[in-house]
Amino acid sequence: MLNPLRSEGEAFRLLLYVIAVAVAIVAIIVILRVL
Amino acid sequence: MEAASVPHPAGHAHGDAAEHGDHHGPPPANRSSRVEPQLLGMLLFIISEVMVFGAFFTAYFFIRVAQGDPWPAVGTTLPVEVAGVNTLILVSSSFTLHWAEAAIKRGNHFGLKAGMVATFLLGATFLFIQINEYANIGFAPQDTAQATIFYGLTGLHGAHVTIGLILLLIVCIRAFRGHYSPEEHRGVEIPGIYWHFVDIMWIVVYLTVYVI
Repeated sequence: MLNPLRSEGEAFRLLLYVIAVAVAIVAIIVILRVL
Repeated sequence: MEAASVPHPAGHAHGDAAEHGDHHGPPPANRSSRVEPQLLGMLLFIISEVMVFGAFFTAYFFIRVAQGDPWPAVGTTLPVEVAGVNTLILVSSSFTLHWAEAAIKRGNHFGLKAGMVATFLLGATFLFIQINEYANIGFAPQDTAQATIFYGLTGLHGAHVTIGLILLLIVCIRAFRGHYSPEEHRGVEIPGIYWHFVDIMWIVVYLTVYVI
């Protein structure tokens, strides 16, 4: 299980997941504004 | 052991020395948790930080959702594009930090130094652009409730970046002095966790304050 406080590597992995979610949110917002 | 061979006038001290072996200094601290002290400290610190940011986000959502006020305030605009580029700069600094950490794990001291210097410079650039944004944004914290929340959230994050930069500077200096090795690099690891946390918080701040 991911524990971002266990090591720098796991914290970096959490950051990558957050970036992926953020990109998805921005994409949804852009699509909704275009429609 | 000298302490065990020399008789003590008080009598009982001899037994104490034999019981504690060759130990000098204060006794080891009692550990009631099976979690490592460093990890437990960082865990409690991050939890408290999340609560501090949560208080500011509560005020933000109160204004936008409960009050239904426009965001940003009427007659003001937020520099979404500039902040977006600044977000890329800050996120890049996490990648260089991860590279530096991976380098020292392989024993690559040049990679550690280059990665840490790049991380520090990217972080300093982010802070410089943020301050420049404050100087040119056209409204002050006391103007509207929205402005107060904007400066509060971004300023709170800016304070964390400043603390992070101080930590990164210390890591840079220690890296150039050769304090880290593949076996001992906790001094890079713990500030690294903090820096990634600061980046994650900024992504949340950017999404809520600038994008949504």
